[in-house]
Amino acid sequence: MIAVLALLAGVVLGVYLDPTVPAALQPYLPIAVVAALDAVFGGVRAKLDRIFDDKQFVVSFISNVLVAGLIVYLGDQLGVGGQLSTGVVVVLGVRIFGNVAAIRRHLFRA
Amino acid sequence: MTVGPTRGGAEQRPDGEERGPAGRVYTADFLTELFGNPLDPGYADAAARRRSSPSPSGRPGWSSRTVSLVVVVALGFLFAVAYRQTVAEEPGRSQARAGLVAQIKEREAETDGLAARADRLREEVGRQRDAALSGSQASRLRRLEAGTGLGRVRGDGVVVRLADAPVADKDGLTGSGGGPPRVLYTDLQKVANDLWAAGAEAVAINGQRLTATSTIRSAGEAILVDFRPVTGPYEVSAIGPGALRDRFEDSRAAYLMRDLVESVGLSFQVREVEDVTLPAAPEPRLRYAEPSVSPSPSVSGSGVEGSSRPEPSGSGSSPSPSRGGR
Repeated sequence: MIAVLALLAGVVLGVYLDPTVPAALQPYLPIAVVAALDAVFGGVRAKLDRIFDDKQFVVSFISNVLVAGLIVYLGDQLGVGGQLSTGVVVVLGVRIFGNVAAIRRHLFRA
Repeated sequence: MTVGPTRGGAEQRPDGEERGPAGRVYTADFLTELFGNPLDPGYADAAARRRSSPSPSGRPGWSSRTVSLVVVVALGFLFAVAYRQTVAEEPGRSQARAGLVAQIKEREAETDGLAARADRLREEVGRQRDAALSGSQASRLRRLEAGTGLGRVRGDGVVVRLADAPVADKDGLTGSGGGPPRVLYTDLQKVANDLWAAGAEAVAINGQRLTATSTIRSAGEAILVDFRPVTGPYEVSAIGPGALRDRFEDSRAAYLMRDLVESVGLSFQVREVEDVTLPAAPEPRLRYAEPSVSPSPSVSGSGVEGSSRPEPSGSGSSPSPSRGGR
Protein backbone atom coordinates (compact mmCIF):
# COMPACT_ATOMS: atom_id res chain seq x y z
CA MET A 1 0.00 0.00 0.00
CA ILE A 2 2.77 2.36 0.99
CA ALA A 3 4.65 1.29 -2.13
CA VAL A 4 1.70 2.23 -4.33
CA LEU A 5 1.48 5.61 -2.63
CA ALA A 6 5.20 6.10 -3.13
CA LEU A 7 4.84 5.20 -6.79
CA LEU A 8 2.03 7.73 -7.17
CA ALA A 9 4.12 10.32 -5.36
CA GLY A 10 6.91 9.69 -7.83
CA VAL A 11 4.56 10.07 -10.77
CA VAL A 12 3.15 13.30 -9.36
CA LEU A 13 6.67 14.52 -8.74
CA GLY A 14 7.66 13.74 -12.31
CA VAL A 15 4.60 15.46 -13.73
CA TYR A 16 4.97 18.43 -11.43
CA LEU A 17 8.68 19.01 -11.88
CA ASP A 18 8.57 18.14 -15.57
CA PRO A 19 12.33 17.85 -15.97
CA THR A 20 13.82 18.02 -19.42
CA VAL A 21 15.82 14.96 -20.28
CA PRO A 22 19.23 15.79 -21.71
CA ALA A 23 19.50 14.80 -25.33
CA ALA A 24 22.40 12.48 -24.58
CA LEU A 25 20.26 10.44 -22.20
CA GLN A 26 17.15 10.23 -24.33
CA PRO A 27 18.01 6.94 -26.08
CA TYR A 28 18.39 5.27 -22.69
CA LEU A 29 15.04 6.34 -21.32
CA PRO A 30 12.83 3.66 -22.94
CA ILE A 31 15.21 0.84 -22.09
CA ALA A 32 15.50 2.14 -18.53
CA VAL A 33 11.72 2.06 -18.26
CA VAL A 34 11.61 -1.54 -19.43
CA ALA A 35 14.33 -2.49 -16.96
CA ALA A 36 12.48 -0.70 -14.18
CA LEU A 37 9.28 -2.50 -15.13
CA ASP A 38 11.14 -5.79 -14.82
CA ALA A 39 12.30 -4.85 -11.33
CA VAL A 40 8.78 -3.77 -10.35
CA PHE A 41 7.08 -6.93 -11.51
CA GLY A 42 9.81 -9.04 -9.96
CA GLY A 43 9.26 -7.22 -6.69
CA VAL A 44 5.49 -7.63 -6.82
CA ARG A 45 5.82 -11.30 -7.55
CA ALA A 46 8.30 -11.75 -4.72
CA LYS A 47 5.88 -9.95 -2.42
CA LEU A 48 3.12 -12.36 -3.39
CA ASP A 49 5.51 -15.27 -2.95
CA ARG A 50 6.25 -13.84 0.49
CA ILE A 51 9.95 -13.71 -0.24
CA PHE A 52 10.23 -9.97 -0.92
CA ASP A 53 13.47 -8.45 0.13
CA ASP A 54 14.12 -4.73 0.16
CA LYS A 55 17.80 -4.96 -0.52
CA GLN A 56 17.30 -7.38 -3.36
CA PHE A 57 14.66 -5.09 -4.87
CA VAL A 58 16.81 -1.98 -4.68
CA VAL A 59 19.87 -3.70 -6.04
CA SER A 60 17.96 -5.37 -8.85
CA PHE A 61 16.34 -2.10 -9.87
CA ILE A 62 19.54 -0.13 -9.96
CA SER A 63 21.59 -2.85 -11.61
CA ASN A 64 18.87 -3.55 -14.17
CA VAL A 65 18.67 0.07 -15.22
CA LEU A 66 22.42 0.49 -15.30
CA VAL A 67 23.11 -2.71 -17.18
CA ALA A 68 20.36 -2.00 -19.69
CA GLY A 69 21.75 1.49 -20.27
CA LEU A 70 25.25 0.10 -20.55
CA ILE A 71 24.18 -2.44 -23.15
CA VAL A 72 22.46 0.24 -25.22
CA TYR A 73 25.57 2.40 -24.97
CA LEU A 74 27.75 -0.54 -25.93
CA GLY A 75 25.52 -1.26 -28.90
CA ASP A 76 25.83 2.34 -30.04
CA GLN A 77 29.59 2.27 -29.72
CA LEU A 78 29.93 -1.08 -31.49
CA GLY A 79 27.76 0.12 -34.33
CA VAL A 80 25.14 -2.60 -33.97
CA GLY A 81 22.69 0.16 -33.08
CA GLY A 82 19.31 -1.02 -31.95
CA GLN A 83 19.93 -4.75 -32.19
CA LEU A 84 21.59 -5.05 -28.82
CA SER A 85 18.83 -3.09 -27.13
CA THR A 86 16.36 -5.37 -28.90
CA GLY A 87 18.06 -8.23 -27.10
CA VAL A 88 17.67 -6.43 -23.80
CA VAL A 89 14.01 -5.78 -24.48
CA VAL A 90 13.42 -9.42 -25.40
CA VAL A 91 15.07 -10.78 -22.27
CA LEU A 92 13.41 -8.28 -19.96
CA GLY A 93 10.12 -8.72 -21.78
CA VAL A 94 10.21 -12.48 -21.25
CA ARG A 95 10.93 -11.96 -17.58
CA ILE A 96 8.17 -9.41 -17.21
CA PHE A 97 5.78 -11.75 -18.95
CA GLY A 98 6.72 -14.68 -16.74
CA ASN A 99 6.44 -12.61 -13.57
CA VAL A 100 3.10 -11.19 -14.59
CA ALA A 101 1.89 -14.71 -15.28
CA ALA A 102 3.00 -15.75 -11.79
CA ILE A 103 1.25 -12.71 -10.28
CA ARG A 104 -1.86 -13.63 -12.19
CA ARG A 105 -1.71 -17.17 -10.82
CA HIS A 106 -1.41 -15.74 -7.33
CA LEU A 107 -4.29 -13.36 -7.69
CA PHE A 108 -6.77 -15.42 -9.65
CA ARG A 109 -5.53 -18.92 -8.94
CA ALA A 110 -5.71 -19.59 -12.63
CA MET B 1 20.55 -11.98 -12.42
CA THR B 2 22.83 -14.84 -11.45
CA VAL B 3 23.20 -17.48 -14.06
CA GLY B 4 25.22 -20.56 -13.47
CA PRO B 5 25.91 -22.49 -10.32
CA THR B 6 24.12 -20.98 -7.37
CA ARG B 7 23.86 -21.96 -3.79
CA GLY B 8 21.44 -21.20 -1.04
CA GLY B 9 18.00 -20.94 -2.53
CA ALA B 10 18.55 -23.76 -4.96
CA GLU B 11 16.27 -26.15 -3.14
CA GLN B 12 13.25 -23.93 -3.57
CA ARG B 13 13.39 -23.94 -7.30
CA PRO B 14 11.43 -26.77 -8.76
CA ASP B 15 12.83 -26.61 -12.25
CA GLY B 16 15.47 -28.71 -13.88
CA GLU B 17 18.34 -28.56 -11.47
CA GLU B 18 20.45 -31.50 -10.72
CA ARG B 19 22.94 -32.06 -8.05
CA GLY B 20 26.14 -33.34 -9.47
CA PRO B 21 28.13 -36.05 -7.75
CA ALA B 22 30.46 -33.53 -6.17
CA GLY B 23 27.55 -31.57 -4.72
CA ARG B 24 27.73 -28.79 -7.29
CA VAL B 25 24.51 -27.32 -8.51
CA TYR B 26 24.01 -27.27 -12.26
CA THR B 27 21.38 -24.89 -13.44
CA ALA B 28 19.52 -25.29 -16.65
CA ASP B 29 20.80 -23.29 -19.58
CA PHE B 30 20.11 -19.62 -19.67
CA LEU B 31 17.03 -19.56 -21.91
CA THR B 32 15.31 -22.42 -20.09
CA GLU B 33 16.09 -20.69 -16.83
CA LEU B 34 14.75 -17.44 -18.23
CA PHE B 35 11.50 -18.92 -19.44
CA GLY B 36 11.02 -21.32 -16.55
CA ASN B 37 11.81 -19.03 -13.67
CA PRO B 38 11.65 -15.36 -14.49
CA LEU B 39 11.98 -14.24 -10.88
CA ASP B 40 15.35 -12.97 -9.83
CA PRO B 41 16.96 -15.83 -7.90
CA GLY B 42 18.19 -13.32 -5.38
CA TYR B 43 14.76 -13.14 -3.78
CA ALA B 44 14.78 -16.86 -3.05
CA ASP B 45 18.33 -16.61 -1.81
CA ALA B 46 17.45 -13.79 0.51
CA ALA B 47 14.40 -15.63 1.81
CA ALA B 48 16.50 -18.69 2.51
CA ARG B 49 19.05 -16.57 4.29
CA ARG B 50 16.38 -15.01 6.43
CA ARG B 51 14.95 -18.37 7.29
CA SER B 52 18.28 -19.75 8.35
CA SER B 53 19.20 -16.74 10.47
CA PRO B 54 16.12 -14.71 11.27
CA SER B 55 16.68 -11.14 12.34
CA PRO B 56 15.59 -10.44 15.91
CA SER B 57 12.55 -8.38 15.04
CA GLY B 58 11.46 -10.51 12.12
CA ARG B 59 10.94 -7.31 10.19
CA PRO B 60 13.37 -5.71 7.77
CA GLY B 61 15.27 -2.76 9.10
CA TRP B 62 13.90 0.72 8.66
CA SER B 63 16.83 1.89 6.63
CA SER B 64 16.46 -0.67 3.86
CA ARG B 65 12.69 -0.11 3.91
CA THR B 66 13.26 3.62 3.37
CA VAL B 67 15.72 3.02 0.57
CA SER B 68 13.17 0.73 -1.04
CA LEU B 69 10.51 3.42 -0.86
CA VAL B 70 12.89 5.97 -2.32
CA VAL B 71 13.53 3.59 -5.18
CA VAL B 72 9.80 3.21 -5.74
CA VAL B 73 9.43 6.99 -5.83
CA ALA B 74 12.27 7.11 -8.31
CA LEU B 75 10.45 4.48 -10.34
CA GLY B 76 7.30 6.55 -10.52
CA PHE B 77 9.39 9.57 -11.39
CA LEU B 78 11.08 7.63 -14.18
CA PHE B 79 7.77 6.43 -15.59
CA ALA B 80 6.29 9.91 -15.54
CA VAL B 81 9.33 11.45 -17.18
CA ALA B 82 9.49 8.76 -19.85
CA TYR B 83 5.78 9.11 -20.55
CA ARG B 84 5.96 12.86 -20.84
CA GLN B 85 9.03 12.58 -23.00
CA THR B 86 7.31 10.20 -25.40
CA VAL B 87 4.15 12.25 -25.52
CA ALA B 88 6.11 15.44 -26.04
CA GLU B 89 8.16 13.94 -28.85
CA GLU B 90 5.36 12.46 -30.89
CA PRO B 91 3.45 15.64 -31.79
CA GLY B 92 6.80 17.31 -32.44
CA ARG B 93 7.51 14.86 -35.20
CA SER B 94 4.10 14.90 -36.81
CA GLN B 95 3.81 18.64 -36.31
CA ALA B 96 7.07 19.23 -38.08
CA ARG B 97 5.89 17.10 -40.95
CA ALA B 98 2.47 18.70 -41.12
CA GLY B 99 4.08 22.11 -40.89
CA LEU B 100 6.36 21.36 -43.79
CA VAL B 101 3.50 19.99 -45.87
CA ALA B 102 1.43 23.06 -45.10
CA GLN B 103 4.33 25.31 -46.01
CA ILE B 104 4.79 23.52 -49.32
CA LYS B 105 1.11 23.80 -50.12
CA GLU B 106 1.09 27.44 -49.12
CA ARG B 107 4.09 28.24 -51.27
CA GLU B 108 2.61 26.32 -54.17
CA ALA B 109 -0.63 28.24 -53.89
CA GLU B 110 1.37 31.43 -53.66
CA THR B 111 3.32 30.50 -56.77
CA ASP B 112 0.15 29.63 -58.62
CA GLY B 113 -1.39 32.92 -57.62
CA LEU B 114 1.66 34.83 -58.71
CA ALA B 115 1.79 32.93 -61.98
CA ALA B 116 -1.85 33.73 -62.64
CA ARG B 117 -1.18 37.35 -61.81
CA ALA B 118 1.81 37.34 -64.12
CA ASP B 119 -0.39 35.93 -66.86
CA ARG B 120 -2.98 38.63 -66.33
CA LEU B 121 -0.36 41.33 -66.30
CA ARG B 122 1.24 39.90 -69.39
CA GLU B 123 -2.06 40.01 -71.20
CA GLU B 124 -2.55 43.51 -69.97
CA VAL B 125 0.88 44.46 -71.23
CA GLY B 126 0.09 42.83 -74.54
CA ARG B 127 -3.13 44.77 -74.83
CA GLN B 128 -1.44 48.03 -74.00
CA ARG B 129 1.31 47.26 -76.42
CA ASP B 130 -1.15 46.41 -79.16
CA ALA B 131 -2.83 49.72 -78.55
CA ALA B 132 0.47 51.54 -78.74
CA LEU B 133 1.93 49.74 -81.70
CA SER B 134 0.71 49.72 -85.24
CA GLY B 135 -1.29 46.70 -86.36
CA SER B 136 1.41 44.95 -88.33
CA GLN B 137 4.02 45.40 -85.61
CA ALA B 138 1.62 44.09 -82.97
CA SER B 139 0.76 40.99 -84.94
CA ARG B 140 4.43 40.35 -85.64
CA LEU B 141 5.14 40.60 -81.93
CA ARG B 142 2.33 38.21 -81.16
CA ARG B 143 3.67 35.73 -83.65
CA LEU B 144 7.08 36.00 -82.08
CA GLU B 145 5.62 35.43 -78.67
CA ALA B 146 3.68 32.42 -79.84
CA GLY B 147 6.78 30.98 -81.46
CA THR B 148 9.04 31.45 -78.47
CA GLY B 149 6.47 30.05 -76.09
CA LEU B 150 5.69 33.31 -74.34
CA GLY B 151 2.20 33.56 -75.78
CA ARG B 152 -0.73 31.22 -75.54
CA VAL B 153 -1.30 29.24 -78.71
CA ARG B 154 -4.02 27.00 -80.03
CA GLY B 155 -4.28 24.57 -82.85
CA ASP B 156 -4.53 20.91 -83.77
CA GLY B 157 -1.93 18.48 -82.58
CA VAL B 158 -1.28 15.37 -80.56
CA VAL B 159 -1.28 14.46 -76.92
CA VAL B 160 1.23 11.88 -75.77
CA ARG B 161 0.25 10.28 -72.52
CA LEU B 162 2.86 8.56 -70.35
CA ALA B 163 2.10 6.88 -67.06
CA ASP B 164 3.94 4.83 -64.48
CA ALA B 165 3.34 1.13 -64.38
CA PRO B 166 0.49 0.13 -62.09
CA VAL B 167 1.45 -0.78 -58.54
CA ALA B 168 2.09 -4.48 -58.44
CA ASP B 169 1.76 -6.67 -55.39
CA LYS B 170 4.95 -6.54 -53.46
CA ASP B 171 6.48 -9.91 -52.96
CA GLY B 172 8.02 -10.13 -49.55
CA LEU B 173 11.45 -8.69 -49.15
CA THR B 174 12.32 -8.00 -52.74
CA GLY B 175 9.24 -5.94 -53.53
CA SER B 176 10.11 -3.26 -51.05
CA GLY B 177 12.95 -1.95 -53.18
CA GLY B 178 12.08 0.28 -56.05
CA GLY B 179 8.36 0.06 -56.46
CA PRO B 180 6.78 -0.14 -59.90
CA PRO B 181 8.68 1.07 -62.93
CA ARG B 182 8.26 4.77 -63.37
CA VAL B 183 8.44 7.24 -66.18
CA LEU B 184 11.85 8.85 -66.05
CA TYR B 185 12.71 12.39 -66.90
CA THR B 186 14.73 11.11 -69.83
CA ASP B 187 11.58 9.59 -71.28
CA LEU B 188 9.90 12.98 -71.15
CA GLN B 189 12.98 14.58 -72.65
CA LYS B 190 13.07 12.13 -75.54
CA VAL B 191 9.37 12.47 -76.22
CA ALA B 192 9.59 16.25 -76.18
CA ASN B 193 12.65 16.26 -78.41
CA ASP B 194 11.11 13.92 -80.92
CA LEU B 195 7.92 15.96 -80.94
CA TRP B 196 10.01 19.00 -81.84
CA ALA B 197 11.79 16.90 -84.44
CA ALA B 198 8.47 15.73 -85.86
CA GLY B 199 7.54 19.31 -86.54
CA ALA B 200 5.77 20.45 -83.43
CA GLU B 201 5.60 24.19 -83.03
CA ALA B 202 4.56 24.30 -79.43
CA VAL B 203 4.99 21.66 -76.73
CA ALA B 204 3.72 21.58 -73.19
CA ILE B 205 4.13 18.99 -70.46
CA ASN B 206 1.19 18.82 -68.07
CA GLY B 207 0.31 22.38 -68.99
CA GLN B 208 3.88 23.67 -68.69
CA ARG B 209 4.89 25.20 -71.95
CA LEU B 210 8.38 24.42 -73.13
CA THR B 211 10.55 27.23 -74.37
CA ALA B 212 14.09 27.48 -75.65
CA THR B 213 15.38 27.62 -72.08
CA SER B 214 13.12 24.95 -70.62
CA THR B 215 14.60 22.16 -68.57
CA ILE B 216 13.30 18.69 -67.84
CA ARG B 217 15.16 17.30 -64.91
CA SER B 218 14.79 14.90 -62.08
CA ALA B 219 15.12 15.77 -58.44
CA GLY B 220 14.97 12.64 -56.39
CA GLU B 221 11.85 10.86 -57.50
CA ALA B 222 10.15 13.95 -58.83
CA ILE B 223 10.39 15.32 -62.34
CA LEU B 224 10.82 19.04 -62.65
CA VAL B 225 9.84 20.92 -65.77
CA ASP B 226 11.22 24.41 -65.58
CA PHE B 227 11.83 23.80 -61.87
CA ARG B 228 8.20 23.07 -61.20
CA PRO B 229 7.27 19.55 -60.20
CA VAL B 230 5.01 17.56 -62.50
CA THR B 231 3.42 14.29 -61.49
CA GLY B 232 2.14 11.36 -63.49
CA PRO B 233 0.27 10.65 -65.63
CA TYR B 234 2.27 12.95 -67.86
CA GLU B 235 0.58 14.49 -70.86
CA VAL B 236 2.84 15.99 -73.46
CA SER B 237 0.73 18.14 -75.73
CA ALA B 238 2.08 19.41 -79.00
CA ILE B 239 0.70 21.52 -81.77
CA GLY B 240 2.04 20.78 -85.20
CA PRO B 241 1.29 19.72 -88.75
CA GLY B 242 -1.26 17.06 -89.61
CA ALA B 243 1.45 14.47 -90.08
CA LEU B 244 2.79 15.13 -86.61
CA ARG B 245 1.30 11.98 -85.18
CA ASP B 246 2.62 9.69 -87.89
CA ARG B 247 6.03 11.24 -87.78
CA PHE B 248 6.19 10.99 -84.02
CA GLU B 249 5.03 7.38 -84.06
CA ASP B 250 8.01 6.62 -86.29
CA SER B 251 10.46 8.36 -84.01
CA ARG B 252 12.99 6.71 -81.76
CA ALA B 253 11.25 7.92 -78.63
CA ALA B 254 8.00 6.27 -79.68
CA TYR B 255 9.79 3.01 -80.43
CA LEU B 256 11.56 3.17 -77.10
CA MET B 257 8.37 3.88 -75.20
CA ARG B 258 6.47 1.07 -76.93
CA ASP B 259 9.35 -1.18 -75.96
CA LEU B 260 9.04 -0.05 -72.35
CA VAL B 261 5.30 -0.65 -72.44
CA GLU B 262 5.95 -4.27 -73.38
CA SER B 263 8.90 -4.87 -71.09
CA VAL B 264 8.04 -3.08 -67.85
CA GLY B 265 4.41 -2.07 -68.17
CA LEU B 266 4.47 1.70 -68.50
CA SER B 267 1.54 3.10 -70.39
CA PHE B 268 2.04 5.15 -73.51
CA GLN B 269 -0.61 6.53 -75.81
CA VAL B 270 -0.56 8.98 -78.66
CA ARG B 271 -3.79 10.54 -79.76
CA GLU B 272 -4.68 13.37 -82.06
CA VAL B 273 -6.52 16.33 -80.63
CA GLU B 274 -8.23 19.19 -82.32
CA ASP B 275 -8.08 22.77 -81.25
CA VAL B 276 -5.96 22.35 -78.17
CA THR B 277 -4.75 25.42 -76.32
CA LEU B 278 -1.29 25.52 -74.86
CA PRO B 279 -0.60 28.08 -72.15
CA ALA B 280 2.15 30.63 -72.22
CA ALA B 281 5.39 29.89 -70.49
CA PRO B 282 6.62 32.24 -67.81
CA GLU B 283 8.99 34.81 -69.16
CA PRO B 284 12.57 33.52 -68.95
CA ARG B 285 14.84 35.68 -66.88
CA LEU B 286 17.99 36.10 -68.89
CA ARG B 287 20.74 37.10 -66.55
CA TYR B 288 23.79 36.71 -68.71
CA ALA B 289 22.61 36.85 -72.29
CA GLU B 290 21.64 40.26 -73.57
CA PRO B 291 19.67 40.87 -76.71
CA SER B 292 21.94 42.02 -79.48
CA VAL B 293 19.48 42.91 -82.18
CA SER B 294 20.01 45.93 -84.28
CA PRO B 295 17.65 48.79 -83.43
CA SER B 296 15.58 48.48 -86.59
CA PRO B 297 13.30 45.50 -86.13
CA SER B 298 12.60 45.03 -89.83
CA VAL B 299 16.17 44.00 -90.62
CA SER B 300 16.68 41.45 -87.88
CA GLY B 301 13.18 40.07 -87.94
CA SER B 302 13.66 36.70 -89.56
CA GLY B 303 16.99 36.20 -87.87
CA VAL B 304 15.59 36.49 -84.39
CA GLU B 305 12.78 34.17 -85.17
CA GLY B 306 15.03 31.61 -86.72
CA SER B 307 17.53 31.63 -83.89
CA SER B 308 14.97 31.24 -81.19
CA ARG B 309 13.28 28.34 -82.91
CA PRO B 310 15.68 25.47 -83.28
CA GLU B 311 13.06 23.11 -84.70
CA PRO B 312 12.90 22.64 -88.44
CA SER B 313 9.56 24.27 -89.16
CA GLY B 314 10.65 27.83 -88.71
CA SER B 315 8.28 29.35 -91.21
CA GLY B 316 6.56 31.74 -88.90
CA SER B 317 4.93 33.77 -91.58
CA SER B 318 3.10 30.92 -93.26
CA PRO B 319 -0.48 30.33 -92.10
CA SER B 320 0.59 27.74 -89.55
CA PRO B 321 -1.78 26.32 -86.96
CA SER B 322 -0.10 28.34 -84.28
CA ARG B 323 -1.97 31.54 -84.82
CA GLY B 324 -1.30 34.61 -82.80
CA GLY B 325 -1.18 34.27 -79.08
CA ARG B 326 -3.65 35.29 -76.41
